[in-house]
Amino acid sequence: MPLHENLGQMDDARELRSYQDQPAQMRAAAHGKIGELRLGFAMRNGRTELCDLYRVAPLLVQQALYWDEAMPELPICSIISVGGGILQGDRYKIDITVGEGACALVNSQSANRVHRMDANYASQHQTVHVEAGAYLEYLPDFTIPYRGSRFINQTELVVAEDATVLYGEMMMTGRKHHHTDERFGLDLLSMAVSVHRPDGKKIFSEKILIENDDPTVDFASVMKGFDAFANIMCLTPPDVAARIQSRFEGQFETEEARAFAGVSRLPNSAGLMLRVVGVETYDVRKQVRRFWTIVREEARGRTLPKEFLWS
Amino acid sequence: MAQDNTKIPVTPGRMVRLARLLQFSDSTLPVGSFAFSNGLESAIQMEVVTDGKSLQEFVEMAVRQAARMDGIAFLHAHRAAAAGDHDGILAADHGLWCRRVGEEQQQMLARMGRKFAELSLRIGDFPQLIDWLAQIKSGQTPGCFPVGQAVALAQLGADEAEAFVVHQYAIAAMILSAALRLMRIDHLETQRILFTVQERIEQDYEAVRDLSLDEMSVFAPVFDVLVAHHTTAHVRLFMN
Repeated sequence: MPLHENLGQMDDARELRSYQDQPAQMRAAAHGKIGELRLGFAMRNGRTELCDLYRVAPLLVQQALYWDEAMPELPICSIISVGGGILQGDRYKIDITVGEGACALVNSQSANRVHRMDANYASQHQTVHVEAGAYLEYLPDFTIPYRGSRFINQTELVVAEDATVLYGEMMMTGRKHHHTDERFGLDLLSMAVSVHRPDGKKIFSEKILIENDDPTVDFASVMKGFDAFANIMCLTPPDVAARIQSRFEGQFETEEARAFAGVSRLPNSAGLMLRVVGVETYDVRKQVRRFWTIVREEARGRTLPKEFLWS
Repeated sequence: MAQDNTKIPVTPGRMVRLARLLQFSDSTLPVGSFAFSNGLESAIQMEVVTDGKSLQEFVEMAVRQAARMDGIAFLHAHRAAAAGDHDGILAADHGLWCRRVGEEQQQMLARMGRKFAELSLRIGDFPQLIDWLAQIKSGQTPGCFPVGQAVALAQLGADEAEAFVVHQYAIAAMILSAALRLMRIDHLETQRILFTVQERIEQDYEAVRDLSLDEMSVFAPVFDVLVAHHTTAHVRLFMN
């Protein structure tokens, strides 16, 4: 299977230069190591349906389910990785489209584990198109970069001016309860995101880059005392953004702090960014859920269902 | 009498250039930097900075991040200005603005940029800044401070490494001057921190000199939360 152009371009990224060797197992980007997923949601018969589904293992989506009691019209797709995590030499491509006026929630089955690597790297390219008046919540579970892992992810969003998208990444510093060397034991974590309008105007971009020689990770202003963090963006029209921002109370309490969280405005009226750092994943999740609830209420007039006991 | 062999010939313009570089590096340059703490005020309120050691780490983090973000736009703007490529200057300006999160961080970037252009045009002859300022006023370009600074320094004849020093120095000086007003610390300690942090300059320059505008990156999650904190803080001396 030929490698998609975007994934091919990512192979040339500067930060991957020292990881170009081939695994002793299957070679990088071999058949079976390129996962592909294409999801298209559109309005059909008065509700949003999953109208386009293309998948290549190890990525898998089975069907859209409508199980959200607080938003029954919302189709929900969980991305499943049958590979049990991301391995060296894996190349993933995910494309999501939400048509005019449609809505969708895409999440993942479990944490995105990026396994230890002794050769090469893993990469993922994502595109997200959200058309006029549409609404998408794309919230993958935590990314856990194991010791010695190398993962590069690039996400390109094209969002109509009156659409709303909640998208972000939650990340751990490693398997903190497994081994002390796991905290920032990764070789490389590179997560880039860019947001454009349909006419091509770029309105926001950001790249989180952590490399194994970063001496500042234990500075108090970077990650001292915390093992999980999240950057969740809400791309939405300015009036909705203003309402959300006024309702979200930042978490800045320093007394026995489990988490810090705050919402900042993005440039070019693109929307908002929630930033969270926390001791454990559940400390971060709690803040993300609080933001998510407000976003859904303000953008769609719906709230979140009661949380599952096991989530 | 012994012959004086130590006399260095005066290269025309060299000393003037150095003098003006010092002028543009001075923390009293009236571009409004006194009103900003670059997140330090929140860092102190949230006990991320509590003493000299943690202040030094904060400054180190800030200059390291500045190099990997603003510094890249700065170098691109400097090269574009030196080559007379006005579109290149605008690309650096938009590229940096697209990555600036937080209303107060955006305000610092744009306010200081505009003030810098106005000041430069008041005191000297900077043809490239005339167009740039006009485009800021008409809303065609955001007017980020490092971009204006790079254009002016290129025109003064500073090479990009010298100019980069001026850019990085301004970040450290701004935070340390705010520190004097925000926490229990004396001038000797802030000068010691400044002296020590300057040591990084070459490694930071080498880390970013070859990077493209798309490669601007960040990683300081706690600092990123602080940016949101200040907007909602009730008691404050600074604008960010």
